[in-house]
Amino acid sequence: MTLSRGIKRGFVGAALLTIILVIIGLITSYFGSRYQLRLVYSTYVNLLVVLGLQVFMGNARITNLSHSAFMGIGAYAAAICVTPVNIKALSLPNAPWGLNAFSLDPLSSALIAIVITGTVALLVGLMIVRLSGIGATIVSLAFLVIVHSLFLYRTDIFKGNQAFFGIPQVFNLASVIALSAVVVFSVRIFRESKWGVALRASADDEVGALSMGVEMYRLRLIAWVFSGMLLAVAGIAYAYFLGTISARPFYFNHVFLTLAMLIFGGMRTVTGAVLGTFVISLGLEMVRWLETGPVFLGIDLPEALGLSGIALGVVIVFTMALRPSGIMGEHEIEDLVLKK
Amino acid sequence: MLRVRNLRVYHGIIEAVHGINIEVPLGKCVALLGPNGAGKTSTISAITGVVKSEGSVSFEDRNLSSLSVEDRIKAGISVSPEGRRVFANLTVEENLVLGGALKPKCRSDRIAEWFKTFPILGERRAQPAGTLSGGEQQMLAIARALMNEPKILLLDEPSLGLAPKIASQIFEMIKNLKQENITILLVEQNATQALKLSDYAYFLNNGHILAEGKPEELGGREDLMAELTGIT
Repeated sequence: MTLSRGIKRGFVGAALLTIILVIIGLITSYFGSRYQLRLVYSTYVNLLVVLGLQVFMGNARITNLSHSAFMGIGAYAAAICVTPVNIKALSLPNAPWGLNAFSLDPLSSALIAIVITGTVALLVGLMIVRLSGIGATIVSLAFLVIVHSLFLYRTDIFKGNQAFFGIPQVFNLASVIALSAVVVFSVRIFRESKWGVALRASADDEVGALSMGVEMYRLRLIAWVFSGMLLAVAGIAYAYFLGTISARPFYFNHVFLTLAMLIFGGMRTVTGAVLGTFVISLGLEMVRWLETGPVFLGIDLPEALGLSGIALGVVIVFTMALRPSGIMGEHEIEDLVLKK
Repeated sequence: MLRVRNLRVYHGIIEAVHGINIEVPLGKCVALLGPNGAGKTSTISAITGVVKSEGSVSFEDRNLSSLSVEDRIKAGISVSPEGRRVFANLTVEENLVLGGALKPKCRSDRIAEWFKTFPILGERRAQPAGTLSGGEQQMLAIARALMNEPKILLLDEPSLGLAPKIASQIFEMIKNLKQENITILLVEQNATQALKLSDYAYFLNNGHILAEGKPEELGGREDLMAELTGIT
């Protein structure tokens, strides 16, 4: 079987992005402080989220606001499976259905978490994919709120805003980089596959795609479930590194942050997702430094709490106003080195 | 032969096509003429399965009525839709890849052939299709429809919105396709050009077939031409 030109270019692009991801990881490992290492780790986790978001949003071009909920489902599902029984006896004494009576190894827990999240995504997706535009977005928002409410109020399972602790910390920077590389390849190949091309076509012109025999709803559902499973992977990577999770990180602030990353970089390309994640993460770190009211060039700057939220909003507003297709537009990284 | 029997198409509660019969023999070019709102595009959409319809659509004695769009394409029916509908954000090449999605074997060779036939499309293979001119987009739409190597090509208003010179090029292209023995159902408002190309023609208005016959017969009927131009 010969690979199409798009797939070949996709492999080259994914390989180039992987090289960059590995280089950033190596530099951090050798030169970074413990704090910086943690920061870079969370950037990679956000990269997994943004890539998961790109699969559906970038190809079907329907805004999804529930991605952090899927990340949360993945994280909690894995946490509940993997946390040792003696710790769960302490933290989840009233857990129903025997959830505190068993414990699995990290890999099995991760696989179960991915399957559970994928199943939830399938059920939600059956509703989402038949809607388009604002309807789909509102349903995704409602789903985010429902999941967050469940996390908060079923304290017997999720512990709400309290820390769900005792998750074995089996991941390190190398694991998340390896995972990012695999996800970059799969997302990029999906984009260039016949499914990805057909999905992008249907986003351009539904009727035109239909007349070419494109089964839009089925493709949207495939992308949606794939996206949900990738978001579960991000949640698992988050939980397996920190060892402690709570409901708050899987809500609006995180939705907004990762959305800004994708919009800024350019949602239509995988390179845009990667670029947006790293630029916004770096920029946000600088803004956070400014928030503390530092002395800069001899000037004692005032404390400016909330500046990071404003900065993210400004990024979204300016990107949408000046370059709605994001920094990368329709360009992928290999366009820099390969002839078009 | 493509055979449409007692075809009725509804848009909500409105009946757009009222039980028409059409036949397109293999190797022939049949024109479907009529003014705006006559039901031409509804007829094409019903044949391709994009809209639901009553009556029967059969091709080479196989009833297609219950088949999906995809299965009708596999049965050999392809369409270049009204308004071209190229995928603006996809590259020229991706448009062609999608056009040939149901026949992946030797697809790259067929794309290369099209780039030879239309060098301008080859030059712009990596460009978003939305950046092409109207005429180039129409060429792409027709090439895309032919990527599945159909037995019958449905062309819905291929000259719509094109400058006369560009429209002539498109009609020249259709003439070449006809010479290659491709069966064509041509929907057009430009009756003069369509009648020149076709072997048989139907005149549709308000969802009814008002007349049918050889091009020279229909072309000579001033009442029909007046319906088309709106000049009485």
